[in-house]
Amino acid sequence: MSGKRSRATYESDLQAQQSPFVTYGTPLPPFDPEVRDDGSYVPVWKQEVRDERGLKRLHGAFTGGFSAGYFNTVGSKEGWTPSTFVSSRTNRKKDAEKAPQQRPEDFMDDEDRADAEDAQRVQTAEGFSGLGSTEEDAARRGALIDLFRVEGETIGVKLLKKMGWKEGQGIGPKVRRSARLGGNEQVGDDPDATHLFAPENTNMISFTKKNDHKGLGYEGEARLSGNGNSIAAHKSEDEEEAGDRTALVATKKQTKKKAARGGIGIGILNDTGSDDEDPYEIGPRISYNKVIGGDKKKKKFVNGSANPSLKSKPVFISKKAALEKASKGFRKCRDGRLPLDGFILSSIDEFSELTLSDGKYAPLEIPEGWKSSKQAKPGSESTNFISTADAAKLSSLDPKARAAILGEAALPGKSVFDFLSPAAREKLASASGKSNLPLALGEIPKGYNMTEEERHKELLAQVPRVDRATAEAALSRGASGFMPYGEDEAKRSRYRNYLENQAGIRSSPLERSGGFSKNDWLKELQEFANCAQIFKPMSGMMATRFTSSTSAPKVASDASELSAGPALLSKPEPKPEDPAEQAAKLGMYGPMTRSSKDWYPTRLLCKRFNVQPPSHVQPGSTEHAEGDMPRNMAPDLVSKTAIDEMMMQGIRNQNFASANIQAPEPVIKKEEIVIDTEKNEALEGQRAGEAVFKAIFGDDSDDDD
Amino acid sequence: MAFPTKVVTQLYGSIGPVHALAYSSSPSTYILTGSSDRSIRLYNPSRPSPPPITNPLEPPKATQLIQTYSAHGYEVLDITVARDNATFASVGGDRSVFYWDVSTAKTIRRFGGNQGHTARINTITFAGTGDCLLVSGGFDTSVRIWDVKSNNAKPIMLLDEAGDSISCVLAGNGEGNGKGGEYEVLSGSVDGRVRTYDVRMGKVETDVVGTSVTSLARTRDGKGVLVGGLDSSIRLMDRDTGGLLKTYKHDGFKNDEFRMWSCFGGNERWVLCGNEDVGADGQVVVWDTLTGNVEEKITVEGAKAEGKKKIGRDGKVKDRQNVVSCVAWKQEGRGNQWCCGGTDGVVTVFGVA
Repeated sequence: MSGKRSRATYESDLQAQQSPFVTYGTPLPPFDPEVRDDGSYVPVWKQEVRDERGLKRLHGAFTGGFSAGYFNTVGSKEGWTPSTFVSSRTNRKKDAEKAPQQRPEDFMDDEDRADAEDAQRVQTAEGFSGLGSTEEDAARRGALIDLFRVEGETIGVKLLKKMGWKEGQGIGPKVRRSARLGGNEQVGDDPDATHLFAPENTNMISFTKKNDHKGLGYEGEARLSGNGNSIAAHKSEDEEEAGDRTALVATKKQTKKKAARGGIGIGILNDTGSDDEDPYEIGPRISYNKVIGGDKKKKKFVNGSANPSLKSKPVFISKKAALEKASKGFRKCRDGRLPLDGFILSSIDEFSELTLSDGKYAPLEIPEGWKSSKQAKPGSESTNFISTADAAKLSSLDPKARAAILGEAALPGKSVFDFLSPAAREKLASASGKSNLPLALGEIPKGYNMTEEERHKELLAQVPRVDRATAEAALSRGASGFMPYGEDEAKRSRYRNYLENQAGIRSSPLERSGGFSKNDWLKELQEFANCAQIFKPMSGMMATRFTSSTSAPKVASDASELSAGPALLSKPEPKPEDPAEQAAKLGMYGPMTRSSKDWYPTRLLCKRFNVQPPSHVQPGSTEHAEGDMPRNMAPDLVSKTAIDEMMMQGIRNQNFASANIQAPEPVIKKEEIVIDTEKNEALEGQRAGEAVFKAIFGDDSDDDD
Repeated sequence: MAFPTKVVTQLYGSIGPVHALAYSSSPSTYILTGSSDRSIRLYNPSRPSPPPITNPLEPPKATQLIQTYSAHGYEVLDITVARDNATFASVGGDRSVFYWDVSTAKTIRRFGGNQGHTARINTITFAGTGDCLLVSGGFDTSVRIWDVKSNNAKPIMLLDEAGDSISCVLAGNGEGNGKGGEYEVLSGSVDGRVRTYDVRMGKVETDVVGTSVTSLARTRDGKGVLVGGLDSSIRLMDRDTGGLLKTYKHDGFKNDEFRMWSCFGGNERWVLCGNEDVGADGQVVVWDTLTGNVEEKITVEGAKAEGKKKIGRDGKVKDRQNVVSCVAWKQEGRGNQWCCGGTDGVVTVFGVA
């Protein structure tokens, strides 16, 4: 078999097997509950996700619990495909572009859409459609409303029309000018060709009646919303209050727009009468052009800015540019205020023009042949000017000579050259290239003019001091084991010398050894002084409370070395060997290697061995491991085993004496080292009194509670 | 009687060193071997030997093998057989005592768990009347005494005096007048001490040997204890006084690394122990018990089959070494047959010619 059966095959097989006699229609599901029945009702929680081959898509842990989508359908044919994560960190706008731009249509239902469709139906403009149309009235009204407060075509218009006037044209003789085709010039047209045109329509200038007591140019709060808007607001206000007085043709479109849909303030009576406009229509206020050729203002949806609340794409304007721009339009007056509305600050500065403009106020021309009376005299030019410094340079006198000339008393100070040796002066002279250096006198300054002895004395005075106690302490510490500079024997001996000197043990003054410069030597001594401070042993309270356990020089070898110097390292005292071990090592098995102790077998153990429990095992003692803890043992100061041990040691020592066996012990080397083999200090030593422990470790506050 | 030096047969089957050897209790027909391959094998050495090896690469057939007991998860380090031959106990790297039924080859009980040893168990022996106790000693420096009869999972006694790993224990069977140490438990430890726990007196006597104790054996009369130590010498100590009766040493005998079992043989005429310092063929050194002289040096042939090459820590191939680590004498030293096993995994049985 190449693989699994496909689902179709499986189903056909199933049918053939379970319901072989069904020819028409879908067979009923098999009665046998074991057989998989596809198509029968399965509760949702039992349903399995299967792929197109009928195989289970999810297995094991993934079949239950968490379900992605509708019962783990995510990613399957039936389910939705999860979008893959796109990091917005690096490419921010990718996602934003993908996001569908919302259109008004998205919020419209079918009815709205039908309406919108209706609104877009192509129609001929009213003006063309026939007489009786009032649609254009508003426009007409706008143009000449002030002149003729008459509805319909006035007699004046009729007259004008007869004279060849057409609506939209100005009144007056024709003007010769080139055609303005709005950039649609045809190729063949001569750009210079001129034609006669009707004059442009001049707009009626309307004056706003001032009927309030506010100042000229005062706009009130309208000003807050910006300059351009304020004008518009003005106009709309006018229109609304007057309804029929529009001066500027430019506002025509606006009015028209307003009228197109019912807005606030426009009643049904303002209706233009067209059928397709239902004044009571409630719908989205979307206006469409219903006229061919009406200029359609394209809505700009895509403004490119990520923030939809911003109308325009924010553009970076540098501060400089902004300032420049601002200064163009809004140059401030001299008093720091903006010029009055409508005025522009003049770019020409009268005062600067006054002074700087060329030609206007040119300086006087010097008359020809005029000579200034303040010309330098020709005689003064002959003497050469020499500065004082130059003059001083030229002079061959040295300060002393000058002083002599001036009759000054000789200065007490001395020149450097007085102390220079002739050789040094030569060197200096050759280096500087000057031969006129003063003579080297080779004097020795007073401080340096000392005998060897004096000099040494002074040096010694600079030796850092360590007080006697510290030096002694550091020395004793060194003697008892630790002394710094273990790696440098020479230095260590110098350190010791220094300490001895400071402690007053050695009266001879410190000697500076050959290889050292004076500074190095002093530096080292300083270091020694610091070292002594650090390495002195515990002092004060601590020292009185503790005593050091053992001192190394008691060991024989070290004792002999003491004169030469303390040992580098304190040798650890050999661990006292178990006498039994020693005996075993010597092959002296027997009582010395044997020790006996009480043992408490449990009662059960005794029972299993078929013996009576030993007398010292309590009849009530537990049967288990805890029974082997001695419970009837008094805390003897010297235990029985210890006594046994002592006795054993006694025997052993006798043996040593008789057999004359030399045990390899460091003990019997010198008389001054006394290690009491009879006594184990740690075990048998008197326990210090309670008071001692309290004195050392006790806390005063403990006594209170 | 001369020392039996003739190789009667060789018992194969172990894949790895044999750590424990035990004759079954009287009449000692069978040999049990505990191997590092985690199984215990029961042999009958009187069965016909396998045919001579023709192909050196082919492992020899174990014709004498009767039963393999496998339940251990680690190497088997010691085996003890009950006197009625119905059960035996074994210990090893797994921290419990396995109490086996011989015929069914299944464990009856396992002593361990929370109250059990906390490390590898080195040694095991039956104790008490009717072998109702098991005494085990392990790497956790403790000796634990287990009750076979009761159902209690806890050891009935814990002996934790030792300062180091327990390497061997001996225990009496609680039958007799007590002169033969029937009421004693002995433990030998790596801390160089043999501790004798006297159940009747409630005393523990510690004998310092001075070197790590690796094996213990008792004379029949209980007066002497054979103590094997890691200083290449075996000592016969007086049980009563702790004195040294005899030391068995030899220039060519070395034992300072492995635990080598030593035993008495031929009605305590000889002392046997394997030698560490040998090559591919092992060696068993035999001393005369009374004189302490070396009587024999038996060469034990190593396995003929090519084993795995062993690489040492230095990366070089190690020389093959057959260290005979365990010896056992038939019928607790009374029979005329003995066997030994070692790192080659082959148990060689010697008998009278």
